[in-house]
Amino acid sequence: MIYAYSPLRRFGLYLGALLALIWSGGPFLWQLSSSFQLDRELTTGSPKFWPAPFTIEHYVNLVVEKSFQEYIYNSIIVASLTTLFCLFVGALAAFSLSRLDVRGKFGVLGIILSISMFPQIAIVGPLYLLASDLGLLDTYASLVITYLALGLPLVTWVLFGYFETLPREIDEAARMDGCSTLGLLFRIILPISLPSLVTTGLLAFIAAWNEFMFALAFTSSIDHQTVPVGIANFTNLYYVPWGDIAAASVVVTVPLIVLVLAFQKHIIEGLTQGGVKE
Amino acid sequence: MSQDESGRSAAKTALAASLNRRSLLKGASLAAGSMALGGGLLASTSSGARAADRTEITFASAKFYAKKTIAQIVDAFNESQSKIHVKYIELPPPSSSTEVHQALVQQLARRNGAPDVFTQDVVWIAEFAGAGWALPLDEYFPAAARAEYFPGLIDACTYQGKLTALPWIVDGGMLFYRKDLLEAAGAKVPETWADMAMIAAELQKGGKVDFGYLWQGKQAEVLVCDAVEVIASNNGSILSADGKTASVGSDQAVEAMQFLYDTINTTKISPADVLSWDEEPSRLPFTAGKAAFLRNWSYVYGIAQDPSASSVVDKVGVAPLPHFAGGKSAACLGGYQYGVNASTKHREAAVEFLTWMSSPATQLRFAVDLGLAPTRPAVFNEAELAKEQPFMQTLQGVFTGATPRPVTPKYAQVSLALQSGFSRGLVSGDIKKELTATASKIDAILGT
Amino acid sequence: MSLQQTATAIAGPRKGAGNPFRWQLVTPWLLLLPAFLSLASVSVYPILKGLWLSFTNTSLVTQEHDFIGFGNYRLLWVDDLFWNAWWHTITFTAVSTLAETLLGLAIALLLFEHFAFRGVVRAAMLVPWAMPTVVTSKMFGWLFDGQHGLINYLLKSAGIIKDNVNWLGSVDNALWTIIFADVWKTTPFMALLLLAGLHTIPKSLIEAARMDGARSLATFWYVRLPMLLPTLLIAGLFRALDAFRVFDLVYVLTGGGPADSTETLSTLNYKTLFSTLQFGYGSAISTAMFITEALIALGFCIFLYERLRRQR
Repeated sequence: MIYAYSPLRRFGLYLGALLALIWSGGPFLWQLSSSFQLDRELTTGSPKFWPAPFTIEHYVNLVVEKSFQEYIYNSIIVASLTTLFCLFVGALAAFSLSRLDVRGKFGVLGIILSISMFPQIAIVGPLYLLASDLGLLDTYASLVITYLALGLPLVTWVLFGYFETLPREIDEAARMDGCSTLGLLFRIILPISLPSLVTTGLLAFIAAWNEFMFALAFTSSIDHQTVPVGIANFTNLYYVPWGDIAAASVVVTVPLIVLVLAFQKHIIEGLTQGGVKE
Repeated sequence: MSQDESGRSAAKTALAASLNRRSLLKGASLAAGSMALGGGLLASTSSGARAADRTEITFASAKFYAKKTIAQIVDAFNESQSKIHVKYIELPPPSSSTEVHQALVQQLARRNGAPDVFTQDVVWIAEFAGAGWALPLDEYFPAAARAEYFPGLIDACTYQGKLTALPWIVDGGMLFYRKDLLEAAGAKVPETWADMAMIAAELQKGGKVDFGYLWQGKQAEVLVCDAVEVIASNNGSILSADGKTASVGSDQAVEAMQFLYDTINTTKISPADVLSWDEEPSRLPFTAGKAAFLRNWSYVYGIAQDPSASSVVDKVGVAPLPHFAGGKSAACLGGYQYGVNASTKHREAAVEFLTWMSSPATQLRFAVDLGLAPTRPAVFNEAELAKEQPFMQTLQGVFTGATPRPVTPKYAQVSLALQSGFSRGLVSGDIKKELTATASKIDAILGT
Repeated sequence: MSLQQTATAIAGPRKGAGNPFRWQLVTPWLLLLPAFLSLASVSVYPILKGLWLSFTNTSLVTQEHDFIGFGNYRLLWVDDLFWNAWWHTITFTAVSTLAETLLGLAIALLLFEHFAFRGVVRAAMLVPWAMPTVVTSKMFGWLFDGQHGLINYLLKSAGIIKDNVNWLGSVDNALWTIIFADVWKTTPFMALLLLAGLHTIPKSLIEAARMDGARSLATFWYVRLPMLLPTLLIAGLFRALDAFRVFDLVYVLTGGGPADSTETLSTLNYKTLFSTLQFGYGSAISTAMFITEALIALGFCIFLYERLRRQR
């Protein structure tokens, strides 16, 4: 920045940051607090923010009773594979549409978009039967294939939008240096698109992480069920174990936040501060 | 047993030998596939060896569990005999009942014999029977065998005179009350709705509780259950006796729903929030000690006695729901029942498995290990049940008088119309108008 | 495939010279192939089947399977429940997308600036989106519970309200409560995309504006916003389409009630397909949803096309 912030501006910034922190993190902190309280404390007249009596029985339940680590393991595999494939296929498609001569590119983009517009509820049934016929029920493959298709439109469109902002001179310079098409993509365009890739990758990962309907339909054993299904299975018939669910949501959210912290510090900031594009 | 084992290992070596020859081909085609596909192939190979000497049938059920799981009970069956091997397919838990319904329907509609045996929510029985997916079981369970179950349940399992389901577990709505507060006020357990409202209002006015009576009014299936109970306890009904026309617009039904509306707006013993509450949100204030009466399912008692989840341990009593003057107490019938696939290719094996699962001994196991109430009155008198689940034993009376929801193959559509109509009536107060409109909608659905 | 041949092919196809197999024309479509394959394998069969079913009276309960032409659509046109749900869905989509865009933009602008602990706030900002949806829905049901919810407790303690507000059981409040829950949950989606978009604006432009004496608001309005417009439109488009299909929040919090006041097209469709097994009518609802979404997308795309054309 060229100039220093005025005190009023600094105050405004920190106030805004505090508000954003409370707005976003408040309910999560409440979940954190609930995860250490007994279930019966949740309905007393005045909710306590500091757990008293303090208990870790909910976290113990997660591992001992619910085998929650299995669900997390499955979710990590499915979400990671989905994100990798999504970014790869989406980058190829977005690059092709933005950088290469494709007649009717907006038509292609429109088709990609419209396929994702059909309500997923209508797709679950036929896909279930298809997966059943192919013997893909209760496998990672059924989920990854489905989530890849679900996440592709967003990734393709956002990467397309980002690629459009990159100056054409880069392409020309690369070609004059004798770079092939794929080389242009992998060695030049993608590296400077890292912020956009990280952003869409994060969104694709979280979308696959949180998807519920297809996971519930396609998987039936703890070997392949993902976290949302695991949490839904906490409720047997009617009783909702609030403390266990709060503990589960903490266990599931914290690593994602740590991941984001790591990514944004090392990648987004590192690149943009270097002024790569100038 | 050893002969079986050697036979099995011989089959395995034979298979292994043939696999070696074709392994190259298989390896190439599977190379690109996922690990899971390969794992699936291995599993089917080994069970293929077993199927050679055992009839294999599949059993699909919603996932119930407590100390034990259904899978363990199925394993007990597999180990107790060597003619049949049952493969247990776990569907989502009953809390995701719409998904269980969808999963079952998708499989049954293909009519290819899978699953051979399944469990169905009591309100799906007519639907599955009407669609021809459930096998009539009359010839396998004659009248004498049927008499061993609760009659209300056998009625619920019968469609157009044919028994298309076999009773498994049962639940019903009941009245939970604070026996310590009632004792202190010197009141008897109420038998009519008017009495209950009076006691509730008194306790609420005296500041002993925040709410007098809690029930479930969320626009969901549970609203139909609550409504069926009050309407039936006033000698009303939702469908006529022949099940062809709607009688939910009758005076008895209107009076019953008016009572529920009044609990919020006139007698004010219930908060307006009940209109968004289903089982859990209505249970929470009660076990926190803030309510005098609660209508809910049997699961509440276990939680009420758990010190880590309840503030009213040993203070809760259970009774059949009240009724209107001149009526009888009605509990809404719930629970899952067995069904056999009409297209099954292993009819005898399926029925044999079904008989074992439905036997008194197995029902006792379900009751003690999974907390699921049996559908045979005789099992309620077992000593082991008295020791492990004393509360369940006291419910026999409630379950005997259980009332089913409307029995029609189009129950799903009827239920949605009822949910909408009841909710609108409870919100606007125009009960007569809304119920009459709902009655015409139901007539249109039933096609009369 | 030598580099010279590539350079030749890209420099411009000379008639009759070079490869018989023109990579230049094929490569784009080859790169698009994985995407097409992926989408086709998952979506094409179900969508076509759904379209076909919408012209039949298929119901698994009555075992009917007859072709009835536009019969379902005629029924849909006069179905009060359908239009009721349609209006709720449109309202929900418009309000939540607008709110999330504005709030997301504000947060993105905030997080673009430098201040201490910016990294922590950026990570915290993502929490609502990262929390599992099955938990968020139940959590909001709990927070907004009329009797023992945290929101009523806080508002009463702060003296803002006197009596408990019936958030989810009242016809007047329920839809707005759901919109609020969705805004909390999904704003990070917009904020993240807009933040990435802000990073693409060349610093030179902003510095030039500042040197010309433009103050923050002017810089924002005349420099940043126009450059951000494509990102805004794309993010807004996807957000609007997702909002149109909202399901979990509504189903868990109110089930469509009270008195059908929060019924959305997705919950209606879910009940029709999964509960009543009317696949014909349900598919007609799906198609109606698709058509409405297509109209919304068309609106966004027209803006976007103009914008991108001008940028080139």
